[in-house]
Amino acid sequence: MRCIIRKKTVKRMAEFLMCVIMPLILSGCWDRIEVNDLAIVVATGLDKTEEGEIELSVQIVNPKSMGSKSEGGQGGGKQNTVEKTTGKTIFDARSKLQEKVSRKLFWGHNHIIFIGKKLAEEGIRKHLDFFSRHPFTRLRASVFMTNEKPDELLKIEPDLERSSAEVAKDLAMLKVGLSVTAKDLLDMLSGEKRGAALPMIQIEREPPNTEGLKIYGAAIFNNGKMTDQLDDKEVRGLLWIRDEIDTASVTINPEEGEELISFHIFDATSKLIPSIENGNWKIKIEIVSEDDIVENETKLDMMNPKIIEKLKEQLEKQIVERVKLALEIVQKEMKVDVLGFEEAFHRHYPDEWRKANWEEVFPEIEVEVVSEVKIRRPGRSTAPQGVPENEVIGN
Amino acid sequence: MIEKGRISTGQMVILLYPTVIATAILLVPGITGKFAGNDMWLSPIWASLAGCITILIMAQLHNRFPRQTIIQYSEEIIGKIPGKLIGFIILFFFFHSNGLVLREYGEFVVGNFLPTTPLVVVIGSMIFVSGLAVRGGIEVMARSAQVFVPIVLFLFILIVILLIPDLEPANLLPFFEKGLIPSLKGAIVPTTWFLQLFAITFILPVLKKKEGGMKWGMITVFLIMVTLVLSNLFTMLLFGKLTPTFTYPIMEAARYISIADFIQHLESIVMAIWVSGTFIKISVFYYVIAVGTAQLLNLQDYRPIVFPIGGLLAVMGLWTAPNLQQIQHFLITTMPFYAVIVQIILPLLLLIAAVIFKKNTKKIN
Repeated sequence: MRCIIRKKTVKRMAEFLMCVIMPLILSGCWDRIEVNDLAIVVATGLDKTEEGEIELSVQIVNPKSMGSKSEGGQGGGKQNTVEKTTGKTIFDARSKLQEKVSRKLFWGHNHIIFIGKKLAEEGIRKHLDFFSRHPFTRLRASVFMTNEKPDELLKIEPDLERSSAEVAKDLAMLKVGLSVTAKDLLDMLSGEKRGAALPMIQIEREPPNTEGLKIYGAAIFNNGKMTDQLDDKEVRGLLWIRDEIDTASVTINPEEGEELISFHIFDATSKLIPSIENGNWKIKIEIVSEDDIVENETKLDMMNPKIIEKLKEQLEKQIVERVKLALEIVQKEMKVDVLGFEEAFHRHYPDEWRKANWEEVFPEIEVEVVSEVKIRRPGRSTAPQGVPENEVIGN
Repeated sequence: MIEKGRISTGQMVILLYPTVIATAILLVPGITGKFAGNDMWLSPIWASLAGCITILIMAQLHNRFPRQTIIQYSEEIIGKIPGKLIGFIILFFFFHSNGLVLREYGEFVVGNFLPTTPLVVVIGSMIFVSGLAVRGGIEVMARSAQVFVPIVLFLFILIVILLIPDLEPANLLPFFEKGLIPSLKGAIVPTTWFLQLFAITFILPVLKKKEGGMKWGMITVFLIMVTLVLSNLFTMLLFGKLTPTFTYPIMEAARYISIADFIQHLESIVMAIWVSGTFIKISVFYYVIAVGTAQLLNLQDYRPIVFPIGGLLAVMGLWTAPNLQQIQHFLITTMPFYAVIVQIILPLLLLIAAVIFKKNTKKIN
């Protein structure tokens, strides 16, 4: 009897001990990191020094100022701190950076990568590996090229957002220009001879005494090295070809006068249709967009189907012109395929593509641009506003 | 019979499904992508044929020896000594495979989440938990699978759905750029995973109903195939030609998810899928080794040897390869031959011998 009781108590004790020991095993003590021991990196800047070393700058969230915005800005001070150092590789620089940052650098929330001009010109490919290999970095990080010093961009204190990292991230999400993540960039670079395009970003000090960022144009990379830059207008054409137009505005001048009409494009798709006929490489760019009228300076009646038909034609021509402008520069002058032509041919004509020398073929490809515009709605007003009825044209 | 518990055919499916899936979505998509390029989603379909063959052979053998496992009937078919030898080979294979599985699991957890935790702790704690499940018997394992597998499935489907906005359907083109050969080559490594359904030989004898074992086995093959096709397809559509450049493509895919700036950083979900899935997988293999060893040595009970085997397994996991590169190399070069010999050719020879010598279980039972 006593023996049984003892057995039972021993079993009980063993069970109890298990319960106590289990949580110790489950907690994963080795990798326990308290949040207040972390320096959370939200943006990274990469550039090269004159000596050829990597210049790494990081924007770290300042935990002391977190939430101070709602408390009327008392205490805290700066929202972010920017640190900078150089090293042989990114990780080497990171180790040196750690020597002066009191908390453990944590890359898990890095959403932005700014690439400086010197690094871009010398080649970006080898430095991207870090962002796809280190266990905590993210492939979703948006990548930008800048003509300024990356750490200057990081130091910006924007008015609307908490940090320049957030401004850049939101601009990328709005898709006002190109929007390229580290994954997209790696994908572009891993094409055989394909070029890559990155959005460019710069500091905006307009109006005076404010600081902000602005997406402007795009950097064109050939074999991983920056060779050219496009301005904003040319980038628009590029976006049309790459089917990356999300929303856009188009303004036309219908009567050769001073009065203009603006359209809001709320849906746009473009297709690349490659074909090879008798050894002639052709590509057809088919663009379909749906537009609303949002601003009418003229005296034209926006409800008249005949007028709308005319506007539609002008709009189509305008879009074709934009696309052709980009084509002229990218295809004929720069001769770098950032348009996705190679992919289109690879997918539909894999055998011919493999035999061809793409660098020779690309500038010679015959391009046909077809644009179809659907004007859907006149907006909230019908006839032009503030115009006496007898002056309205087409009423 | 050493095992007293009985499970239903549905429970069998739920045990075998993670036994293949859990690690098949770790390293395998990267390896498949390397060989098959953008036809990689086809490879699991070819590979599933191997799963069907295994199930077919095991079911045929099972019909002849309904209450025995391969360890036992191999003795009856070809005599005591050769039978024991075959049993030993099979058990050693499982022992080695389970060591590899443990190591893959450990490398995954340490490499991605717990970089400073020693590998031995990760592997050791997993083997300890699995050991408890194995000691509990097949019924306990089946029930824990019933708890975990629905969660695993739900999380997997969640990831698949959340990935949809980032997919690029054109990545699929061109189909069969270099013919069917690349996708067949890519099927070689997943084949070894489908062959792991060989473990069904230890589950068929403990089914409540004798019928339906083969049918449900085939259903398991189908479910696994669908899951692998989906996971390969989605990583392919997301990463295109980048897919083979990642160690764990599905992990990268889950990390890439970001919806409305809010649903992001989902790698912990992948971790949850793998930890609970691998738990079932390791337990099933562990169970096979423990029960098989007990049968090989004619023991009355397998429970006393569970933890000693666990210790050996942990050591196997640590010693099986010096690093992840070696594991991957082994999985690509040696494992296909190794697995086909042990899990298809050996049982097939046994089946042929059984047919020729007209061996069946003696009617006494």
